[in-house]
Amino acid sequence: MNNLSRKLAAPTQDNYWRQLGKRFARYKFMYILILPAVLCTLIFHYLPMGGLIMAFQEYDIIGGIGKSPFVGFENFIEILSMPKFLGAIKNTLIYSGVTIFLGTPFPIILAILFNELKQQKLKKIVQTVSYLPHFISWISVIGMFYAMFAINGTYNDIMAAIFGSSYERTNILCDPDSFLGIIFWSGQWKNIGWNSVIYLAAIAGIDPTMYEAARVDGCSRFKQVLYITIPSIMPTIVICFIMGMSSLVNSNFEQVYGFQNIYTQEATEVINTLTYRQGILNGDYSMATAFGMMQGIVSFLLVVVSNAVVKKGTGMGIW
Amino acid sequence: MKRSLGEKVFDIFNITLMLFLCVIMIYPYLNQLAIALNDGNNTMLGGITIYPRKFTLVNFEAILSNKDIWKAAGVTAASSICSTVLILITCVGAAYAMTKKDMPLRNFFIWFLMIPSYISAGIIPTFILYRYLHLLNSWWVYVLPGAFVFYNTIIIRTYLSSLPTALEEAAYIEGANEVQILYKIILPLCKPILATIALWSVVAAWNSWTPTLYYVNDSNLYTLQYVVMQLIKQSEAISKMTTEAAMTGSDMSHVQPTSEAIKSAAIICSTLPIILSYPFLQKYFVQGVTIGAVKD
Repeated sequence: MNNLSRKLAAPTQDNYWRQLGKRFARYKFMYILILPAVLCTLIFHYLPMGGLIMAFQEYDIIGGIGKSPFVGFENFIEILSMPKFLGAIKNTLIYSGVTIFLGTPFPIILAILFNELKQQKLKKIVQTVSYLPHFISWISVIGMFYAMFAINGTYNDIMAAIFGSSYERTNILCDPDSFLGIIFWSGQWKNIGWNSVIYLAAIAGIDPTMYEAARVDGCSRFKQVLYITIPSIMPTIVICFIMGMSSLVNSNFEQVYGFQNIYTQEATEVINTLTYRQGILNGDYSMATAFGMMQGIVSFLLVVVSNAVVKKGTGMGIW
Repeated sequence: MKRSLGEKVFDIFNITLMLFLCVIMIYPYLNQLAIALNDGNNTMLGGITIYPRKFTLVNFEAILSNKDIWKAAGVTAASSICSTVLILITCVGAAYAMTKKDMPLRNFFIWFLMIPSYISAGIIPTFILYRYLHLLNSWWVYVLPGAFVFYNTIIIRTYLSSLPTALEEAAYIEGANEVQILYKIILPLCKPILATIALWSVVAAWNSWTPTLYYVNDSNLYTLQYVVMQLIKQSEAISKMTTEAAMTGSDMSHVQPTSEAIKSAAIICSTLPIILSYPFLQKYFVQGVTIGAVKD
């Protein structure tokens, strides 16, 4: 019986491999097309992962990874006991947390206001203008902010005009306590318009007959927004929120590094800037790798967990 | 249709808010432009808003006659063009292959290419790798590592799958081979989305300065925005020195700070190509986001 089934199965199995070979051959050109992408990803994204070994070593610059002694989790323990690193973790969580949780509604509100704007010409102009800062490099934006907030810049002129002679001119960019506000508002200034595009696209996809029906029933515009627009774009909001969650432990390096100066740097260090300074400037590769690795793992877990939570609650997710 | 009082109030409020938003968004550029066109010493007195008080072109002349700026502009332009071409080749290839539903190992490739967008090794292992690959202090570091972008691939793939498959089949029956189908049918149809990807890539490369900060010491290879960054950081450090000198009474007249005005001229010059071309190309800049928003 066994023999018989094997005899019967053999030709089909042979067939299967031949078929598979044929399918491979048929898509030869496609493999050539996808090859550059695969090679690039392999070399520049997967190969560096091997370097994570350094996080468990006392890296020896001359010997390289192969000759460095292993120290287990020592680097991680050291990171979690040093105030410098803990401060950077705290700052990262505060800056990104505020950006994600308080910042998310802004582009949504802007998109809804755009949509409620009946003057098409004005709408087009405001949209064009508000998307523009997204395409300017962070460092140029920071240069503009420095001019705006200089002691004799426009911000201080306005404040002096409002509060009169009792107002004391200061450069808030040199004050560590203002840093959170600067990060938040400069981020909004640069990206609010661009981030609203995706919500506008979602709003444009809403079936207009819903609004018509609501209007016939005497529903006010405010209620239409509340009961039609917002629920309809909820999937987009949820997906953007999940994608944003991974940046809870990630700061925008260009933004934070750019705004840091001699007065604020020490108090405003975040994980990304500290990894750069510790690793590339000071050459302490092991500690910096361990620090970056912790960040990478947590950010990956955040996406997975928030995706799972949202999926369980609402049935929506990114995968 | 009649509008209620509440709606009228809201409309006025909305229009006012939008105009206010416009002012906030545009003011910093005009302020920079005014500072750049104003006499440097006069700017120190403060109070410059959106027009120059003492008009001069000296600051722009200083920037445009600076050889380092032109060198940086050359490096930046070259890397913008090369990286854009590479990104288009790798992303279109990968995206087109991904549309072939019964290609063996297709899902493996998609996952393989996708995973790095959620997890990365961090900058130090990358730095060490680049040292082994001799990419440190090399112009290629601006081009090769970013030669494939997964997000762009997904956008192109989504666009491709919206095209009718009948076209390809018809061409196949007519006897066209795969290369011909890609070049003569698929690519011409993808032009709008390729324009978007190309613009994003050019802008990203034009604006980049962190690769220089991380991986390049050679001043011949500085990018334009890196030079701007240095100007900003320098004038900050010098202004601190001057304030301290003023407090202690020591003489600082020998230190020549890069004036606020020169800095502004550099910012204006380096962002001008984008600001000038953006209004005309806005359609292409924006359309990719809406395509990417389609979830599948």
